[in-house]
Amino acid sequence: MFQLIWNGLFVGSFYALVALGYSMVYGIIKLLNFAHGDLYMLGSFLAFVVLGGVTGLFGLGSIPILLLVLLITMLLTGGIGVLIERVAYRPLRSSPRLAALITAVGVAFTIEYTVRQIFGASPLVFPIRLQGAPIEILGARITMPQLVLMLVAALLMFLLQRYVMHSREGRAMRAIALDQKASLLMGVNVNRVISRTFFIGSALAGAAGVMAAAYYGTIDFLMGFVIGLKAFTAAVIGGIGNLYGAMLGGIVLGLLESFGTHFLGGQWRDVFAFGFLILFLVFKPTGILGERVVERV
Amino acid sequence: MSSRRIRTARRFAATGAIALSLGLVLAGCSGGVAGGGESADNSDEPIKLGMLAPFSGQEAAFGDYMKFGAQLAIDEVNADGGIDGRDLELVTEDDACDPTAAVAAANKLVTAGVEGSVGGYCSGATLPTLPVFADAEIPMVIPAANSNQLVGQGAFMINGTGAQQAEAAVEYIKKVGAKKVAVIDDNTDYSVDLADSLEDQADGFEVVKRESVNPDEKDFSANVNSVTGASPDFIVWTGYYQAGGLLVNQLRGAGYDGPILVGDGSVDAQLAAIAGEDAIKNVVGTFTKTPDMLEGGDEWIADYEEVSGGDAPGPYSIQTYEAVKTMAEAYTQAGGTDYDAVVEALQGLDGFPLLTGDLTFADDGSREGGGFVIVEPTGDGGAFVLKDDLEG
Repeated sequence: MFQLIWNGLFVGSFYALVALGYSMVYGIIKLLNFAHGDLYMLGSFLAFVVLGGVTGLFGLGSIPILLLVLLITMLLTGGIGVLIERVAYRPLRSSPRLAALITAVGVAFTIEYTVRQIFGASPLVFPIRLQGAPIEILGARITMPQLVLMLVAALLMFLLQRYVMHSREGRAMRAIALDQKASLLMGVNVNRVISRTFFIGSALAGAAGVMAAAYYGTIDFLMGFVIGLKAFTAAVIGGIGNLYGAMLGGIVLGLLESFGTHFLGGQWRDVFAFGFLILFLVFKPTGILGERVVERV
Repeated sequence: MSSRRIRTARRFAATGAIALSLGLVLAGCSGGVAGGGESADNSDEPIKLGMLAPFSGQEAAFGDYMKFGAQLAIDEVNADGGIDGRDLELVTEDDACDPTAAVAAANKLVTAGVEGSVGGYCSGATLPTLPVFADAEIPMVIPAANSNQLVGQGAFMINGTGAQQAEAAVEYIKKVGAKKVAVIDDNTDYSVDLADSLEDQADGFEVVKRESVNPDEKDFSANVNSVTGASPDFIVWTGYYQAGGLLVNQLRGAGYDGPILVGDGSVDAQLAAIAGEDAIKNVVGTFTKTPDMLEGGDEWIADYEEVSGGDAPGPYSIQTYEAVKTMAEAYTQAGGTDYDAVVEALQGLDGFPLLTGDLTFADDGSREGGGFVIVEPTGDGGAFVLKDDLEG
């Protein structure tokens, strides 16, 4: 039983990291950024390249190196996120939302197939493989890398929470989420804050990509697709646009999948996950934490 | 909030409508062209052989393996004077292992005037192309795809079917004396088919767990947990190697160290690379013989590498080579490319000698015998080598 919970929490923390970016962007400019899952994929490929660049440092033990690579990759994917916003979304900010949504799908394909052109279609084996002897806790097999990855994910979410809720820039983000025009009139630099939001959201997706690559061991150009959909589901379950909602939604989705698979069989895993998406959209479109509109990010 | 949802729904409906109308346009094209291809029986023109294979997507690696195998056979046939003086020519199209792309690609081949089809890797993508070729009266010899669903649809299959492969797996499971078997598939035609066959043929052991994974995911912990919960002493994976490698790794991580048998879609050196050095121990696969397991195989490999520019042959290189050889034999016997005559000639083949064994087609187009053996990934760089030929 504890194994089921643990599996759910572990997968859920990845969903949560990706869902955060989805949710932040939606909260601020009401755009479903379908390219978000591909920033996750891009993160893993950038880490692959960066790791190739630091092969000389390999002897130093893989986890510190990986954390360094994680940091570099976050900066890079964050930068790419800002670039995407500047090039593809900003010009469309005042157009109907359908236009921006289609552009987002276009951006997603552009990223996917650019990566395919460069790295090929076959999956690549990631040079670092985080695996350790499992320790048994309450009947669940838990490995060191799992713990480290979950801690990193938790730390990133904690830092984000501090930043959004307790800093000046965070307040500006929340203000824009509430009313973009009024914020502009109050002297908030809207463009800069939106850029920053994309930077943070993309960096988190990139971080999740690196961690997934190091843990699971392979990367391919389509790996962002399913997780993008799952993260969207997580964001909706938690209450899209809500910071805590995204985290909660990720964990809830992870647990739902873990238990659903156990009791219904693996064939039903995705049916189960996306069935919940539909249920939430029909009966509680604001998600679990949706009412707290004031705290929208 | 809710009004936004409705608009989202409309967006999807609109996309669907566009996709549908595109599909109709494509279907319209094929209808127009199918009739035109008939009159191309020009005696000087080369005979075009069409080959659908994945050159993009997850299975892209197999496309080149198959292409070079086919090209080698064509070069050999042409060097021997071709078919009554007409050369063979290979036309490849990418099916991306995707049913929609495959149908479009098949229509393209029909348009290009091919007079035989020697492709087909992913069963799911091959299945919908069969009526396209059949309507255009193009004989089909399928080198790799081997789902039971392909049987009896007018195509001839070089590779053994899922049922025949399952038979080999059952024999091996009985041989090692396993009692509780878990079977995992990846929800594709080929994989489910193989898993079903195995479950049907289970004899002397019990299938204690049947599980499916989504091969587009990376995390199978939920599935693995449910499999190990049934405490099997033998696990069979019937999907492809990309997800297979991850699955093997995660099964080992969850504490399962018993034997794992993988189907032919996972028999690839990449399986070991993805699973990792420790996890790959005690993994075996079912496979039809590859060149390095055959007598006279070295020579064939050398010829192949000349065509491929140095790349070693991979899975289904030899089957595709043999598909072309078989088609060429049928053309020769039929004295041309007339559909009915070629099909009759294919059906009439009796013990046609091929590297992987003598070839006879059963009435339903499947290959008699199948010729599956047990292989293990203990060669250089995780390459699969012969472990047990299941003879005695």
